[in-house]
Amino acid sequence: MDDYLIGVLTNIGLFGFMALSAYLLLLAGEMSFGQQAFFGVGAYSGGMLTAMLGWPLPAAALAAMAMGALAALIVALPTLRLRGLYFAMATLAAAEMARIGFELLHWQVVVAGEPTGPDGTQGFRGIRWVFENGVEPGTYLAIIWTLLAMVVGLFIAMERSRLGAALRGVGEDPELSASLGLNVIRVKLAVAAAAGALAALGGVLYAHHNTYIEPRNFDIMLGVHSLAYALIGGLGTVFGPLLGVLVDIGLLEGSRVFQGYRMIVFGGLVALLLMVRPRGLLDEGTVQWIKRRFS
Amino acid sequence: MLADLLQNTLDGLAAGASYALIAVGFTLIFGVLRRANLSYGPAIMLGSYAAAFAFQNYGLGLIALAGICVFASVLAGAYVERLCFAPHRKGSAIAAMVASFALWMQLEEVAMLVMPKHLYAFPPLNQGGPLDFAGFTVRVEALVMLGAATAVCALVWWILYRTRFGLATRAVIESSRAAELSGISVPRVYIGVFALASAIGGLAGFLISASFEQVTPMLGMWSTLKGLLAMMLGGLGSLPGAVVGALALGLLEAHSQWYLGPQLRDLIAFLLLFVLLAIGPRWMTPSNG
Amino acid sequence: MSALLQIKDLVTAYGKIEALKGVSLDVQEGSITCLLGPNGAGKTTLMMTVAGILKPKAGAIAFAGHEISEQQAHAIVAAGIALVPENRLMFPNMTVVENLQAGAYQRRDREIGADVDKLLVRFPRLKDRAEQNAGTLSGGEQQMLAVARALMSRPKLLLMDEPSLGLAPLVVEEIFRIITELHRDGTTIFLVEQNAHMALKVAGHFYLMEQGKVTFSGDPGSLAEDEVIKRAYLGSAKL
Repeated sequence: MDDYLIGVLTNIGLFGFMALSAYLLLLAGEMSFGQQAFFGVGAYSGGMLTAMLGWPLPAAALAAMAMGALAALIVALPTLRLRGLYFAMATLAAAEMARIGFELLHWQVVVAGEPTGPDGTQGFRGIRWVFENGVEPGTYLAIIWTLLAMVVGLFIAMERSRLGAALRGVGEDPELSASLGLNVIRVKLAVAAAAGALAALGGVLYAHHNTYIEPRNFDIMLGVHSLAYALIGGLGTVFGPLLGVLVDIGLLEGSRVFQGYRMIVFGGLVALLLMVRPRGLLDEGTVQWIKRRFS
Repeated sequence: MLADLLQNTLDGLAAGASYALIAVGFTLIFGVLRRANLSYGPAIMLGSYAAAFAFQNYGLGLIALAGICVFASVLAGAYVERLCFAPHRKGSAIAAMVASFALWMQLEEVAMLVMPKHLYAFPPLNQGGPLDFAGFTVRVEALVMLGAATAVCALVWWILYRTRFGLATRAVIESSRAAELSGISVPRVYIGVFALASAIGGLAGFLISASFEQVTPMLGMWSTLKGLLAMMLGGLGSLPGAVVGALALGLLEAHSQWYLGPQLRDLIAFLLLFVLLAIGPRWMTPSNG
Repeated sequence: MSALLQIKDLVTAYGKIEALKGVSLDVQEGSITCLLGPNGAGKTTLMMTVAGILKPKAGAIAFAGHEISEQQAHAIVAAGIALVPENRLMFPNMTVVENLQAGAYQRRDREIGADVDKLLVRFPRLKDRAEQNAGTLSGGEQQMLAVARALMSRPKLLLMDEPSLGLAPLVVEEIFRIITELHRDGTTIFLVEQNAHMALKVAGHFYLMEQGKVTFSGDPGSLAEDEVIKRAYLGSAKL
């Protein structure tokens, strides 16, 4: 497998975490423009732990996920009762605050004679744990995809369980769910934390793949893209958002055919597709149809 | 101390006036269609890019450039309306919004392909220097901006309350179903409102670009953020609120920047919005879409 | 002579649920025709479909010989049909006069102002409140305003969906007096009502509708009034 293909597949995996993070919130009926903040929190905290404190990546990844979940709860608690565009704007505001926070973050320690750590708008270089520990790009790709597969497995298990039904219930009709005895607040907080952890996992893996991160990486465009992947791929199944990522990063960027005008094609494609499929490609109706065909 | 305060207030009001133009456009679309148009900023940017292109290649004067800005923004707005909002008029609000951010990405790339540099020169609004008035520096651009914002607000008021189209628009804002039953063509009102909002946006883009004497690709994102912030600070869907929110944002930014620097300036604006959304009971009513 | 409004086998669905399952009925020119039936029968759906707000899945609607089922709502107003909707649907933050002007939106002639004045004379309570916002009006006044607004388009056919809903008896009488006057002045009226008693007093012909279909067609008197009332409220339940 050539390096370019490995690179494309790695990116699909990494942004897959973001798309799934947005998707999870959408299931609970909330549209977030701010998941990129938790991606960034995961990237920075994971990077700081491995590059500055010498932690091994697995431990740093777990810590990064915890940080992502915590950050997500901090954002979710005050905004629980907001819906629709109001909630979206609150998440946008929070994400921009996080990004500015990264711009203001200057903290470096000397590691092996070199100043290492986040340096505000100059970014954070030297997140080299993967390379220093001899993990080949192909192996790293396998790690990312294994983790993604585990997450997908969890989603599938959840969607079949009562938890999944509860989630969709809260998403579609919170008043009804509440009257049926569901603790809507607890469900929403759990979802927010899980989505934050998921984005953070993507972030820490991203940071170690790129070895260099800067605040600009975690701007609104990332959040909007992830939301678009979930919404165009379809909300009927966990494979929907991944399909969205595949179409953009896999097909369009990967094929190199649309070099330089990838967004023109993707943007136009999305708008046109939504005209015929307003709920995305793999929407609930299509998923039911597929299930019936194969059962 | 007082001198600084007044100077910052003047500057803040001028910036706020530019935000007001953008916010009015956003609010017109949101108020009537009940949907957020995330391609509004990029349409403004395309208008300014078209003007910058004309300036670079044909050296046109300010009035012509203003006309091109407005025209190109209206054209871009019409494109967005046809592709993102007309097809989903009776359908999903989310689909409309996702389509509008798909086109946001598309329009930004179009601008960057045609004009790939990071910066393009734009002729200044004012050839002379700033005015000195009782010890304060008043930039002519600021006065023009304030004047334009006032004129646009008056124009929008006049359209809404003194024209037949305005009556139809207010009717659709109150109840699009009742409007339909009264014989008002709701699709036509949408088109008209989009055109008006885009024209105002185009004017805003022209004035902003001429004030800074440059156009950058960040104009799209910048306009979107400022417009959304001002609109939300002023109360979603209210035109007077959008103007107040915009002026407040301008003032907040000018004073924060003076005492705390540019990064904290932006942080404070977002923090204010977050806090208002988190606590204000007014804001907790669910939005449509 | 063919009817002013001819509905044939009309089917309207909300997603997969068919609210109208093949409705056929006629409204004769110059008549007051009444549609009765229990809640959920599909009466409002029928009105909304004729008015062009809802699009039918199948069937035909002919108005003065022209097929209108594919037309948009504003075109249907221009063609001469106006609906006084259930729940009145005011523009609460617009004045009474502005509400009336909105009703005339499809008109391009110069008599709109004169019509506004005429209607304010006909509905004196509206004249008192001409410059007030419609949201401040009482229920009865809003109903008058809804009727007046519909009349502003000079319709040939006036559709009315439950005009007496939620109104005090005296106001209801006034509404029906207005309906009789309009009929006398030549407007054809197609009326949906829950108040079967009042409706039968004015109607020349009536239909009963249940569960998306027309179940009875006749003149007042062709069915005992208490039977009509029973079916209008409860439907003809199969026990």
